[in-house]
Amino acid sequence: MMAVSCLTRALRSLTLSQPALLSSQAIAQTRLGAQVPTAVKQCRGFLTTACLEQNRTFWKQREKYTTRPMGMKKTGGRDHTGRIRTHGIGGGHKQKYRWIDFQRLRYEPNNEARPFEEKVVEVRYDPCRSADIALVAGGSRKRWIIATENMQAGDIIKTSGVIGRMAVSANEGDAYPLGALPVGTLVNCLEIQPGKGSEYIRAAGTSGILLRKVNGTAILQLPSKQQVQVLETCMVTVGRVSNIDHNKRIIGKAGRNRWLGIRPSSGLWQRKGGWAGRKIKPLPPMKVYVNLPSISAK
Amino acid sequence: MFSETAQCLKTAAPLFSQTVLLKDLRCLFTHGGPSHVQARRHFGVSRSLTAKVPPPRKPRERVGIPGLEMVTYGERMHFVPGLSKPVNPHWERDYKDPRYYKSPPAHEMPLFKEKPCFVYNQRTSALEGVRQALWLTKTKLIPGLPPQLLSLAESPANQIADQDERVQNAIKHARFWDTKEERPGKEKYSNTLLFNLLHLCATLQSSHPAIGRRILSEKYSLAATWKRGEDVFQIRGQNGLLHNCMDALPEVSGKQEVDQTADHVLESLYPVSPTIDLQQVHVYKEELNCTGFRGDYPYPHAHTLYFLEGADAGCKLRPEQFRAKMLMFTFGNALVRAHTLYRSQPQRVLDHPITVQAVGTNGRIFQFMVLQLNTTDLSGDDGIKNQVWLDEDVELYDFAKVRPLIKKKQVKVPAGLTGYKPEVFSKFLALYLHGAV
Repeated sequence: MMAVSCLTRALRSLTLSQPALLSSQAIAQTRLGAQVPTAVKQCRGFLTTACLEQNRTFWKQREKYTTRPMGMKKTGGRDHTGRIRTHGIGGGHKQKYRWIDFQRLRYEPNNEARPFEEKVVEVRYDPCRSADIALVAGGSRKRWIIATENMQAGDIIKTSGVIGRMAVSANEGDAYPLGALPVGTLVNCLEIQPGKGSEYIRAAGTSGILLRKVNGTAILQLPSKQQVQVLETCMVTVGRVSNIDHNKRIIGKAGRNRWLGIRPSSGLWQRKGGWAGRKIKPLPPMKVYVNLPSISAK
Repeated sequence: MFSETAQCLKTAAPLFSQTVLLKDLRCLFTHGGPSHVQARRHFGVSRSLTAKVPPPRKPRERVGIPGLEMVTYGERMHFVPGLSKPVNPHWERDYKDPRYYKSPPAHEMPLFKEKPCFVYNQRTSALEGVRQALWLTKTKLIPGLPPQLLSLAESPANQIADQDERVQNAIKHARFWDTKEERPGKEKYSNTLLFNLLHLCATLQSSHPAIGRRILSEKYSLAATWKRGEDVFQIRGQNGLLHNCMDALPEVSGKQEVDQTADHVLESLYPVSPTIDLQQVHVYKEELNCTGFRGDYPYPHAHTLYFLEGADAGCKLRPEQFRAKMLMFTFGNALVRAHTLYRSQPQRVLDHPITVQAVGTNGRIFQFMVLQLNTTDLSGDDGIKNQVWLDEDVELYDFAKVRPLIKKKQVKVPAGLTGYKPEVFSKFLALYLHGAV
């Protein structure tokens, strides 16, 4: 469409500028000494190519939540300027994107601040992530969430934002704030800021452990053994993320990685340096995501 | 890019004799060209001129200070750097142009209501299927067809001569003979099979003249409104094929059975709301009830609705959702009839219950449904319920193969029609003859 419009515009400019000649011809004619009217101007440059709307992300920019799978354009690791942002991406099977609702504690418009229950309709594979996803229905809405290990169609899962005085005995797949859970619970889908939506512990088979609760905050161990401190109102899902055998699958051949859209690394020989070999280093210090007032302010 | 072209022009310029250039330029300007030398010539056309697609910019915040007016370049009629852009009042054309019509926002429309209406149309895929439809229509489900209907087709007076052979021929016609290609598609053969069977049933008109008091209609649009609890529901849209009749169908169950339905408890769908997957609209007409035909239509009674599963290529429903759609549209037809008879006032018990039948097929599997509308007072969960008899997933035949299915050099399924079940057509015939015998 774009290319056709460019071409028609170019042809129109050519017909309007009758005396216009191509510059090379003009130069040749002046060299011959002929007093032919030459024109440098009036010949509007025209494009014979049009940029493909390749790296646009219209499919992502939606206002309203939908459970329908969206068609996705491959980026090949390029950003919006067309430069390679991430190496080793390209090709692979066509995939569709399913919009996951990471904010588990999203109340329905008419009844707010009350614990609610949802029914698992379907648990299925998702091409865009390693974990499985579950379609849950509750009230008059449906949404996709990350499935936990033993989630099955027909299960009822609960979501609550209340922190009671007693720790709750939660079933797998339920979502609670960290403050409501007993110490030592296996959790996943961790929020860093309350209400932001879960960002940590979402990969297949992972889980974190709630280590202790201190003074309105909670300390968790991530799958990397790093410890983080977050506010106790952050929501988590109880249990372990589904697809626990994800790390045991056998790729088998180089071509299967290409199916997944992963390209081979560069192949350039590089001298092994300090990056190679075993490293012994202490665990990084606990990461604090709590904006506590500083001691001097007290 | 432009700096490059300027350099190119500079290098090219000494080649021209200055006088010629100036003369030519002057004479060209008289032709009405632009009044400056155009240096924007794009020599290279191989690459895109706008390589970088910038991320969307946030619109600048405009601060309006009362009493202070911005100096604009509006009076000068051209852009002046440093002066602000003039703000022109929004222009509205005083004539009507449908190409540029913009509908007003929904809350300014005359039909806008605060209370939403839940609309069920022919493309709705209800999550809970028949259970949800039963709740919406306040209906009691009875599996299997009513016995008096089944006995109808068994008497030899009501059977077609050479019935089994002719039905098998109808199936073979739909599956094998009705095409120039190797095998017809599903949309084609299911449609052909339905019309073949209807044609077969219509041959009984000589012995049952009441069959002649019917007519088939396609593409009529239905609209029915009712209240369930506090919510308003509507059934809208076009559905399959409707068999209209001059006379109403007789009721299937008697008064006593109707009274017994008050004890039936509707199944709850907790935690899912029954309104899930229904379209929620705020702009709608209240009390909209339309059969799709004019008031003086000589065939006012809906007799049977025929649904084809693959009729709408844009929307494929799973079997459970398909049955829900059948139930909803059958109910809609009955409800509209009741509203025209009883002036859309909710009646606790209808004096003469309204019966509508439905048949759904995908070319092999049939669903039979008989609905009896006992009440139009649907707001509460208690009281008299409607009744539906549903016979689901009955197969008219097992296989109709163009080529045999061969596995390990053994013929598993031979070519041609296999596993024909005659009792399924007798059910079809029973629904057809209901009301005519």
